[in-house]
Amino acid sequence: MHANILSILDIRMNKKGQIQIGETIAVLFVFFVLITIGFVFYVKVIKGNIEAEKEELSQLKSVGVAQRVMFLPEVQCSEDNIIIDNCIDISKLDAAQKLMKENEVYYYDLFEFSDISISQIYPSDAKWSIYSRKTNDFKSRFVTNVPISLYDSTIRKHGFGILTIETLAR
Amino acid sequence: MPNKTDKSEASTKTKNFRRQRKSKEFSRKSQMEILGLAIVVVLILVATIFIVRFLVLKTPTDYRKGFISSELASNMLNTFLKTAARDCSQLTMTELLQDCAQGRGIICDNGKDSCKYAEETAKNIFENTLDKWNMKYEFSAYTNINSPLIKLGQQCRAEKRSKLFPIPISTATMYVKLDICG
Repeated sequence: MHANILSILDIRMNKKGQIQIGETIAVLFVFFVLITIGFVFYVKVIKGNIEAEKEELSQLKSVGVAQRVMFLPEVQCSEDNIIIDNCIDISKLDAAQKLMKENEVYYYDLFEFSDISISQIYPSDAKWSIYSRKTNDFKSRFVTNVPISLYDSTIRKHGFGILTIETLAR
Repeated sequence: MPNKTDKSEASTKTKNFRRQRKSKEFSRKSQMEILGLAIVVVLILVATIFIVRFLVLKTPTDYRKGFISSELASNMLNTFLKTAARDCSQLTMTELLQDCAQGRGIICDNGKDSCKYAEETAKNIFENTLDKWNMKYEFSAYTNINSPLIKLGQQCRAEKRSKLFPIPISTATMYVKLDICG
């Protein structure tokens, strides 16, 4: 009789133990699932931050290129050796185009992968491309338009133009 | 000496007491489990809100915007004022605007007065630039802000970048203003 009760108790205890092990496994499973989700989220956030920083860097680079072009001595207007801001001398453009083609490596250091052009919209329409080095393997493209004065030294008058700087970032 | 019935009554009472205690313990345990589940649900909700806030609703920042808009307003006005008129004895827009504010004595080759000519030129330039780039703006030239001599574009309703150029004239000072919205 006594042995019988003990064996029943033993079976019951065994069942309870199995249930508890099952419960522990389930809790551990949920815990690891939560850890995995957290890790995936963390990796995504880090990846997003890196992408955002990369984007910021590309945009700042594009602003830097735009500023370098705006103050490029090769095309900037000057009067009595005094530089005129926000002005491009039309008569210097052809020479600058030629110079940039001949010294591609030097200008690549300044402008990297970009396309720089000037369009006159008043008094007449005209377009000059001063630098162009493009790549098909780019991730972002930024276009900056800057209104600029176009000085015609033959008649000593200014026209209205747009300096378009397209930068490509890999 | 207690008899048999008393003994059984006592044991029933003890059993009942134990059963009640067990039931109370069970209900307390289940309450704790429900609380635990509620905490887990709250944590999952907070995590979801966090994910949505930082990953899904993340708006890309335009770092160039400040540079572009500040350059645009000042360069646009500066360049416009320096520009020489095509059919108006190569006079600059500044000279035409000065005449516009001082009695409109200049008549251009196309028969238009200085005000009309400057307005048409500004319209032509803005159509080929700001309108083309889908940028809203308000351009005005005035001596008295309430009665502008030239007014183009629409008033900005929210954020704007503004540039004001004073031009001296014989009687007072006239102003040329360009607001670029956004």
